[in-house]
Amino acid sequence: MSKLDLIEPQRQAPLGVAIIFFKNLRRALNFVLAVIVVNLGTGFEVLGMGYSGWGIILSVFFLIYSFLQYRKFYFYVSGDNFVIEKGVLRQEKINVPFSRIQSVNTRQNIIQRLLNLVGLKVDTAGSIAQEIDIPALSKDYAEELRNYLMQKRYEFVEDETLEQEKVLKPLSGQKPLLSLSLSDLLKVGFTQNHLRSGLILFAIVNGYIWQFEEYLIKPFEPYLEETAKNLLTTWFLLLPFAVAAFLIISVLTSLVSTVLRYYGFSFYLTEEGLEMESGLFNRNSYNVPYEKIQYFRWESNPLRRIIGYRTLKVKQAGNQAINERKLIGIPGLKSRPLLKVIQKQYPDRKGTKYSYYQPHKLLFLQRLFWLGLLPSLVVSAILFTQNFLWYFYLPIAPFLILVAFLSYKYWRSIGLRVNANYVELRRGYVFPKRMVIPNYKLQNLSLSQSFLQGFRKLQSFHFHSAAGTISMAHLPDKASRELYDYLAYCIESSNAKWM
Amino acid sequence: MLLENLKLEIDAIPRLEERDFVDLERDYLYYRITGKVLFLMLLSGVGASVSLFGKLYFGYWLYPILGILFLVFTVELIGFKYRGYAVRSKDVSFRSGWLYHRMTTVPLNRVQHCEFTQGPLGRLFDLATVKVFTAGGNSSDLDIRGLRKENAIKLRDHITTLSADYE
Repeated sequence: MSKLDLIEPQRQAPLGVAIIFFKNLRRALNFVLAVIVVNLGTGFEVLGMGYSGWGIILSVFFLIYSFLQYRKFYFYVSGDNFVIEKGVLRQEKINVPFSRIQSVNTRQNIIQRLLNLVGLKVDTAGSIAQEIDIPALSKDYAEELRNYLMQKRYEFVEDETLEQEKVLKPLSGQKPLLSLSLSDLLKVGFTQNHLRSGLILFAIVNGYIWQFEEYLIKPFEPYLEETAKNLLTTWFLLLPFAVAAFLIISVLTSLVSTVLRYYGFSFYLTEEGLEMESGLFNRNSYNVPYEKIQYFRWESNPLRRIIGYRTLKVKQAGNQAINERKLIGIPGLKSRPLLKVIQKQYPDRKGTKYSYYQPHKLLFLQRLFWLGLLPSLVVSAILFTQNFLWYFYLPIAPFLILVAFLSYKYWRSIGLRVNANYVELRRGYVFPKRMVIPNYKLQNLSLSQSFLQGFRKLQSFHFHSAAGTISMAHLPDKASRELYDYLAYCIESSNAKWM
Repeated sequence: MLLENLKLEIDAIPRLEERDFVDLERDYLYYRITGKVLFLMLLSGVGASVSLFGKLYFGYWLYPILGILFLVFTVELIGFKYRGYAVRSKDVSFRSGWLYHRMTTVPLNRVQHCEFTQGPLGRLFDLATVKVFTAGGNSSDLDIRGLRKENAIKLRDHITTLSADYE
């Protein structure tokens, strides 16, 4: 099928020099930024040259270096491996067997889009160091190479399982299961967990400020100290404004980040796996073959529940750090497409009978104690020692009632159901989520019992999958042992490949 | 609560039972206690030197350390009964802990690799650990501790050969 000549080592598109140059430049800027900030306002001179002189010298140096990097970057096929050779000073060779390829994704940042080039990324099940990244290919070539690699991968898998020939259909001819319009995106952005986006923004800004603390804050310190005293008195007046400002900024951040990330989002359910494209400036495309998916988790929040949107998270194999990076979210799914995806991945989910499990009420009591009673006691003790008047104690009662209500609802929201094929767990009242793991994708099982649980004859069940652990607390002894033996039996008797 | 929906009878499923578990070597108990006592002795050494050269009342460190020593002995002596491992034809299990009990089972067809380790104190007691890894975990998923060295090597080879059959 391929017109590609990959036996001979190939170079990237010639314009790739520009991509590599900008990549280097950005890395250098991060480093030089500190120097610029330090010398802000004062003249800068080293060896008789100022900013412009050094800028030109560095640019020329990077241009030459980038050109060398481009010249020394090859990719080719040798036997059953896809090989990359790169490196100017230290040569590096990365070998990826076709069978180890997880997925082939493309990405375009703004410069790549301007130059009409595409970056190709080959994901493997292994570590980050083993990942292949080809930053600059022409659009058509990237598409061809991607199809070629995916085809090779399937041929490899099928050698062992199916004999029948399967030809990959190009994505362009297919109808997406879900595409998000701008209004959908705004809805998704508006219903995000704003508190989280606000805090993330705060953390980023905070990090940047402290990085340059000496130059940004130190000069103002005497002034700050003086105003701090005034601030304390006007604190109560300012608080509502601060909260309002924080909220507005958080909502704006959510909106902007959602639009940037998911602009033009389209999601396909193909024969082989999930495919998606998105991004305003940085255009990314991902695909995940079905058999590489460890499990699905879908979740919602109070705002999204009103408009019926849910987010589907696709969990792939890898340790936690890699997984966080790879965790793919599909936002703005209504029930029907969501059910379609779930049905595709878990065909036997509906219709079969399940065994249902619920946690013991110890869970409710513990939550009530740790989140409600203990904080109330601490606050009361502080109020008492400080001789506060009685009406300061009043808010404690509604707080306790609220915590009791939420704890009760949380406890009732947790449920586990198991049948011959799947383990399905739901949890969360305010932030409800569900996850479904096929039994044979479990890696190992464990049970734990704390001292308190020992009294009540309860156990906590931990399901370990290749994409992380899911736990279910406070199951009765007998039921958990039975489930344990049953799931162990399911794993051990299954010949299905978990990856 | 019972698994009534399944096609097979619950009695037909092999159960992981009490009698499947093998106790650890008695030496492992002494090994654990020795390790902790050594650490406490180090602490007492620091306390004693502060008392001798500075002016610190002996009781301030001696009594807490004696208390901890007592705790170590009770917890270790009682907890030792709860430790054990089980090797069945299709999986390996390990359990431990008195105040916090934990049991883990790794099916052999999910083992990624398996290794044998022995520390300096372990060499003294002729004890070793077998670590079993599965996919996704950050560290090893199952540590079978307190084995004689030759048994540990045997167990590792056993797990490695059996799990290789599934490849």
